[in-house]
Amino acid sequence: MILQSLQIALESLWANKVRSFLSMLGIIIGVGAVIAIVSVGSGSSQQVTSSITNLGSNMITIYPRVARGQGGRIVGENPQEKFSIELAAYMEKFCPSVTQVIPVKQVSGRLIAGDINVNATVVGTEPEYTAVNNYEVEKGSFISNNDNQERNQVIVLGSQLAEDLFEGENPLGKRIKLSYGGQSYLFEVKGVMKEKGGSLSGNLDNQAYLPLAVSLDILTNSDYVSSYIAQAASSEKAATAVSELNNFMAKVLDDENQEQFQLMSQDEILDTVSSVTATMSIMLGGIAAISLLVGGIGIMNIMLVSVTERTREIGVRKALGARNTHILFQFLMESLSLSSIGGILGIIFGWITAYFISQVGNWPLVVAPLSVGLAFGFALCIGIFFGLYPAMKAAKMNPVDALRYE
Amino acid sequence: MANLLIQVKQLKKSYRLGKVIVEALRGVSFEINQGDFVSIMGPSGSGKSTLMHILGCLDYPTEGKYFLSSQEVTQLNDSQLALFRNQKIGFVFQQFNLLPRLTILRNVELPLTYNKVSPPNKRELAIQALEQVGLGDRLQHKPNEISGGERQRVAIARALINHPSLILADEPTGNLDSKTGQDIMQMIDKLHKEGNAIVLVTHEVEIARYAKRVIHLKDGLIERDEVIA
Ligand SMILES: Nc1ncnc2c1ncn2[C@@H]1O[C@H](COP(=O)(O)OP(=O)(O)OP(=O)(O)O)[C@@H](O)[C@H]1O
Ligand SMILES: [Mg+2]
Repeated sequence: MILQSLQIALESLWANKVRSFLSMLGIIIGVGAVIAIVSVGSGSSQQVTSSITNLGSNMITIYPRVARGQGGRIVGENPQEKFSIELAAYMEKFCPSVTQVIPVKQVSGRLIAGDINVNATVVGTEPEYTAVNNYEVEKGSFISNNDNQERNQVIVLGSQLAEDLFEGENPLGKRIKLSYGGQSYLFEVKGVMKEKGGSLSGNLDNQAYLPLAVSLDILTNSDYVSSYIAQAASSEKAATAVSELNNFMAKVLDDENQEQFQLMSQDEILDTVSSVTATMSIMLGGIAAISLLVGGIGIMNIMLVSVTERTREIGVRKALGARNTHILFQFLMESLSLSSIGGILGIIFGWITAYFISQVGNWPLVVAPLSVGLAFGFALCIGIFFGLYPAMKAAKMNPVDALRYE
Repeated sequence: MANLLIQVKQLKKSYRLGKVIVEALRGVSFEINQGDFVSIMGPSGSGKSTLMHILGCLDYPTEGKYFLSSQEVTQLNDSQLALFRNQKIGFVFQQFNLLPRLTILRNVELPLTYNKVSPPNKRELAIQALEQVGLGDRLQHKPNEISGGERQRVAIARALINHPSLILADEPTGNLDSKTGQDIMQMIDKLHKEGNAIVLVTHEVEIARYAKRVIHLKDGLIERDEVIA
């Protein structure tokens, strides 16, 4: 009986192709929207998450806040002038959830190799920088403790920078010039880093790395670093580490209101991102669900028209021996076919949309089977729910009245 | 009375239209034997169609009893009635009542699809029935592609397909010219000769004369029950 009702249903839908398609449109758009939205949501958050994780493991960055000035003069103390190298060691000591703290001094300079020159961020740092950043060496080696002690004028290049400066040649052992603050300094290339890609603090591949001591004593002649990079013992301890560091800095800088420094942690960013994407998903999912609902009402509307239009057909079928359940199934199958065909078209439509958006947004195409199943199942339920009333109306029709209907 | 097919006792049917109650049948009793050919005549509004609907198990009477093949139809529920219509009754309507979207073959198959167990050879049975009414070569045509007389023949084939005990024809020639009407009547007469019981409603005396018996209705009552020699 089901198969037979299905055949009748498909025939009658086919007889009114345009109308059937139009009444499916709501479902198509609804299902498509659900799939596209969920896919875009998870694709983009996967991209953001991976780029944040890419930053390093359980990283917390500590910056000085920009000093407030008045009429060209800095008012009060410059917070920058409290960020000393020694502070890093104290942090390690007084914050038990922090495994290590690396001071960083970065400047913008111009690197010159032969007749090629490139503007780049030059980061003065210590050997542990690579571990904290999940950063690996491709060729040669990274800055060593010895380089820092000896103030060796060696430089390690990010992958893109190496490519830009040496265009495929092996840069190891080559000499390059760094022009900074009107002076030129000669460096020997000690290593080239593996490709890492973008991260929240910029593209590591476009940076160069020097011994911290060189950056402080030779380039800038300064006692203060630009920031610290701290690593929490584990991702569970990240939150504790953040509060320990906050307390520590507030005490040391005598800055209860945290006006002079700022912490940025990877987990915090991840949390924010995932809560933002979750809210977005719920909101957009709600909109999609409403459009599915509207689609269902559209189907009900068309089914009611169809039942009225075919009153006489119902009468004839009943006269020939169709039971109420036959008629019920016939019309239920029709609305179910509408919603399931609409659902399938919606899946295709949503998939294609998600694909194009992922191409534009440059993130992976993630279509969760769960969202497909859920959207399709919801569409079917809507087909049954909104088809039931018209189908029952058809089934209950009195055959004599139906036969008399003009 | 071994071959009694229909027995109606004091059938009454009234319709309520707002406050007015229309009495379409006001106490009708008669019997019809298996293989009988009965015409029902009467002026418009006399209750002929109402009676046919009750005989065809499409409607319940307000009062009275109706036995078909010694089953009390008035005690059956909706789906048992549907089965009765399917198995025991073949309808031929004035307006043909074919489904316009289906081919005539599918139209004729229709009653078989509503059988309790629908036979696997539906198609062959339908083709046979259509050949019987001389339309074996028009199987894939739609109802709007054939003439009125041909449509009525399709309806007859459809009425026959389940080998019903009773064929009900409500003014089957009403929408046809007299020549085509005669053809249809000859076909119905042939069915009668083959042993089918037929109840026919008509306005026309010549048509009614095909039957062996004419029941005259007036204002919901039997005015005359006449046997034609
Ligand atoms: N569904 C209904 N609601 C109200 N009144 C009805 C209904 N069906 C029939 N009637 C009334 O019952 C009476 C008998 O109607 P019926 O259709 O049986 O007449 P008929 O003899 O078939 O007439 P005709 O020759 O015009 O077909 C009429 O007065 C009609 O108005
Ligand atoms: Mg009538």
